[in-house]
Order: sequence, then structure tokens, then C-alpha cells
Amino acid sequence: MADLRINFAGIKSPNPFWLASAPPTNSGYQVQRAFEAGWGGAVWKTLGEPILNISSRFAGTHFNGQRMAGFNNTELITDRPLEVNLKEIYETKKRFPNHTIIASLMVEPQQEKWHEIVKRVEAVGVDGFELNFGCPHGMAERGMGAASGQVPELVEKQTMWAKEVAETPVIVKLTPNITDITATAYAAVQGGADAISMINTINSLAGVDLDTWNTIPHVAGKGAHGGYCGPAVKPIALNMVAECARNSTINVPISGIGGVSDWRDAVEFMLMGAGGVQVCTAAMHHGFSIVEDMVDGLNNYLDDKGLDSVEDLVGKSVPKYSDWGDLDLNYKTVARINTDTCINCNKCHIACEDTAHQCIDMLTAKDGSNYLKVHEEDCVGCNLCSIVCPVDGAIDMIEIPSDEPMTWKERETAIKQPSCGISLVK
Amino acid sequence: MERPMSHHKEFLGEKEKIDNLYSKGYRITAVNETLSGAFVEFSRITEEKELETEELQLLNPDTRIYFSTLIHKQQKAQ
Ligand SMILES: Cc1cc2nc3c(=O)[nH]c(=O)nc-3n(C[C@H](O)[C@H](O)[C@H](O)COP(=O)(O)O)c2cc1C
Ligand code: SF4
Ligand code: SF4
Repeated sequence: MADLRINFAGIKSPNPFWLASAPPTNSGYQVQRAFEAGWGGAVWKTLGEPILNISSRFAGTHFNGQRMAGFNNTELITDRPLEVNLKEIYETKKRFPNHTIIASLMVEPQQEKWHEIVKRVEAVGVDGFELNFGCPHGMAERGMGAASGQVPELVEKQTMWAKEVAETPVIVKLTPNITDITATAYAAVQGGADAISMINTINSLAGVDLDTWNTIPHVAGKGAHGGYCGPAVKPIALNMVAECARNSTINVPISGIGGVSDWRDAVEFMLMGAGGVQVCTAAMHHGFSIVEDMVDGLNNYLDDKGLDSVEDLVGKSVPKYSDWGDLDLNYKTVARINTDTCINCNKCHIACEDTAHQCIDMLTAKDGSNYLKVHEEDCVGCNLCSIVCPVDGAIDMIEIPSDEPMTWKERETAIKQPSCGISLVK
Repeated sequence: MERPMSHHKEFLGEKEKIDNLYSKGYRITAVNETLSGAFVEFSRITEEKELETEELQLLNPDTRIYFSTLIHKQQKAQ
């Protein structure tokens, strides 16, 4: 059995699976039940001046039979008084001293406000803080959350204010609603952050009702943008984690959040540089018990790979993530159809014919049956046919021996001044 | 609608032109990439020590990789 414990920026946790700051971590009752179920840590629902919420506030985007492929919300931070949350954090920590409790915080961008909340919350024994610079709705209209998180100077300053008084590590949670997340990540590091976490939710409108013409969700016939999360956002979150992980100026641990639904997702985030993961939507969809499978799956995976600990996994794919300009222009793959497994549904042919490179030929065999064959010389290896193919293994993408590697950057250098020993003096 | 010419056949045609110039001792001396394709200048020094120049307009993306690889190799070899 591998060692699942992590030491994330000095915060010790029995495993890398934390509940993200959200409805699942709203109360001591819930967090304690989550710890009993096996979660290694919980980031408490964001503390701040107690707010009020609206009804309704969630929407699911269901896709092709999968419920909650995406999830949208217009909920704000905690609506419970600080005193009550602090009492419950204290009790929960006492009952589960080895589990991780992080307090998520959000206050106005004023030094005294940050000092006050950090001191009050630290006194009940949290393992660290997470500064919420990500909430895209409601709080942002009051200059908090994403409104702060979109301005690098404010991220830096507020991180500094929290760090001025915090004795435990400070994680800065970033908004994805920004052009370049490394800019705010860097600002957090400049402000003294011990770690960063990403992503919070993405600005979204889940849908519009075709009968009533109301937005989904709506509040008495009116809607507002919400935050998007769940499986649909994983590729966006993974990219943002990877961009920060490969940036040498952002030299702090990363907590990966956004669409983590099972152990495989968690491993992907960790391979791309996350020191641990946080989960919200999957827990809201299936309940706390999903962590059992996450723990077992990760354990088996590490054993299969011959790794002793989670830490041996972290960042292993980061060197493989680069810029387009570093990719080899001479690398070539082509599609090959396995007639044994192909069910002749014709999807690949249509995709290639209509929207790719017209290189899947429909041929007739001697026995009169039809079969498909890729005209490999014209195939650009775009992958489309294998993506649309409904049968696993019916299309393989095969690597073709090619010329020696040359990247776009090398090409740019080469064609600028093609030095070939011939004088151009005419 | 008639299908466009096979991408690969177009590449082979352009590659042949490049290889032909190469076999005659021409080497790429300038590249000018425009909206109308890449204009690639080939030069050679004749036995009479004269500079001869040819230009090809190359349209195919695989040819653009091909001639760039030739230059890249040339430069690496020097
Ligand atoms: C209903 C709801 C409420 C949330 N409230 C908070 C919050 O109070 N503080 C916070 O930092 N993030 C909040 N989030 C964002 C989550 O912590 C998390 O960043 C996001 O949902 C992405 O993770 P997921 O794809 O696993 O859901 C909330 C998310 C949802 C769905
Ligand atoms: S990989 Fe792209 S170009 Fe090649 S056969 Fe498939 S769809 Fe066509
Ligand atoms: S999409 Fe897959 S199964 Fe369908 S015809 Fe193409 S190879 Fe066969």
C-alpha cells in the first residue's frame, strides 16, 4: 500500500482529497461526516460577513444522458454568523485532529478587515487559510471575490495583509475569469502566498427556457450570470494548473480544483503539478462516499506504477507540457481502421469527408461488402475520425517514421537567414 | 463539386521541384512568406563562378515543412 499522506505547503493531510469550499463544507455536521467517509481535508465554506442568498440558485447542464456534466450556481459565501462557524470548526478539529481544515476567507480589500478575520479564525485551530479571490457573482459586485481576483495588485496586496498576521500557511484561490491566470498567480506569490489553488467557477449562463424565455436558473423571472464547475470545466482547470506549474516564477504548491470526479481526474491534476485536489460538484452529485473509490483507486494506481507515495507522482507530466512553438513539425501520425472491429457505422467517413481531409475511402470487397480504408498519404493525423468513432479500437492512430525533428521556433530561426554557404552578392 | 487536388499529390509535385533544384546544386538562399504562399529563392554558383538564381512559389503546408527542414539540416551541418 502506498503512502497517501501529503504535506501540502506545510499542511499535513492523511490523503490528497479535500472537499472544496462550497455547500458540502457548510457546517461542522457535514465536514465531520465527510471526514468519517474518508476525505483527507475540507476547505470550509467561505467565511466573511454573513450574507443572504437567493432562491433558486443552482442549474445543471445535462449532456446526452449525463446529468450534471456541468453545474452552475449563483450562491454566495457563508450565510451563517462567523461565531457559529468558528465554534463548529473548533469542535470538528478537536474530533478530527489529523484531518485538514482550511478556512476560506473573503472580506473587503482593507488591511484591518483581513487582519481581524485571520486572527479570529486562526484562534480556533485551522491548519491554514484559503483566500477566496474567485467568487464571480454577488460578492464581486461589492468589490470582493473575482472583482479582487482579477486585479493582480489587489491579489498581491490582500495576500500580503493576510500573511502579515497568519501563522499558518496561506493558499490563494484564483479565478479563471481572467485572460492569463499566471499573472494573478504570480501576484499571489509576490504577496507571499504559501500555495495557490485553482480554479474557482467560470462565468456562465446555464440555459434559457424555450417555453417561458426565462433564464435557467431564474429568480422570479430574472437571471444573472453564475459560476460554472463540474466535469465540463476540467480541461480549463487542468490547463490553468499546468500553466502555473511550468512557470518557474510561480514556485509554490498548487491545489487542483475543477471537475475532479474520480481518482483518474485527481491523478491527472497531480501529474500536471497539483500537490493535492479539491472536489465540490462530484460530492454534490454523488455524496461523500465517492471518496472511498478515490482513495482505493489512487492506492492501486500508485502500487501498479511502483510508487511509494503521492508525492512521487506530483508534476511528472509538467515537462511534457510546452508551447506550440516547441512541438515537432515533422512528427506524423495517420489513422488506420481495423476492419475486424469496425461496425461500418460510417461516422468516421462522414467526419473526414465533410470536415477534415477527405481521405477515408469507401471500398467494396470481393464478396461485395463495403469497407473503409484511410488513404494514409492524405491523412493529416488530426484524430477526428478516432474521436467520433463509437467503437473502442476500431481506429488506431499510428506513428509514421518521419524526418528529423524541427520545431516551429527552429524553423523561424532557420528561414530567417538560410545560411547555405552561397554568397548572395550578385 | 469537384474535389480539390490531393494534398499529398500537390506536396509531391512541389517536393520534386525542390529536389530537382537541389540535385543541380541549388541551395535555398532566401524565403519570403506571403499570403500567396512561400516564395523560396534557390541559388547556385556555376563552374564559371557565376551566381544563378531560381524562385519557386510553394503553396502546400507540407512543402513548407519540407524546405524548412532542408534549411534546418543545412544549418546544423555547418
Ligand atoms: C454551489 C457552490 C457554491 C460555492 N461556494 C464557494 C465558496 O463559498 N467559496 C469558494 O471559494 N468556492 C465556492 N465554490 C467553488 C468551488 O469551491 C470550486 O472551486 C468549484 O466548484 C470547482 O470545483 P468542482 O468542479 O469540483 O465543483 C462553490 C461552488 C458551488 C457549486
Ligand atoms: S485523422 Fe483526420 S484526416 Fe486522417 S482519416 Fe481521420 S479524420 Fe481524416
Ligand atoms: S466510425 Fe469507427 S465503427 Fe464507424 S465506420 Fe468508422 S471505424 Fe468503423
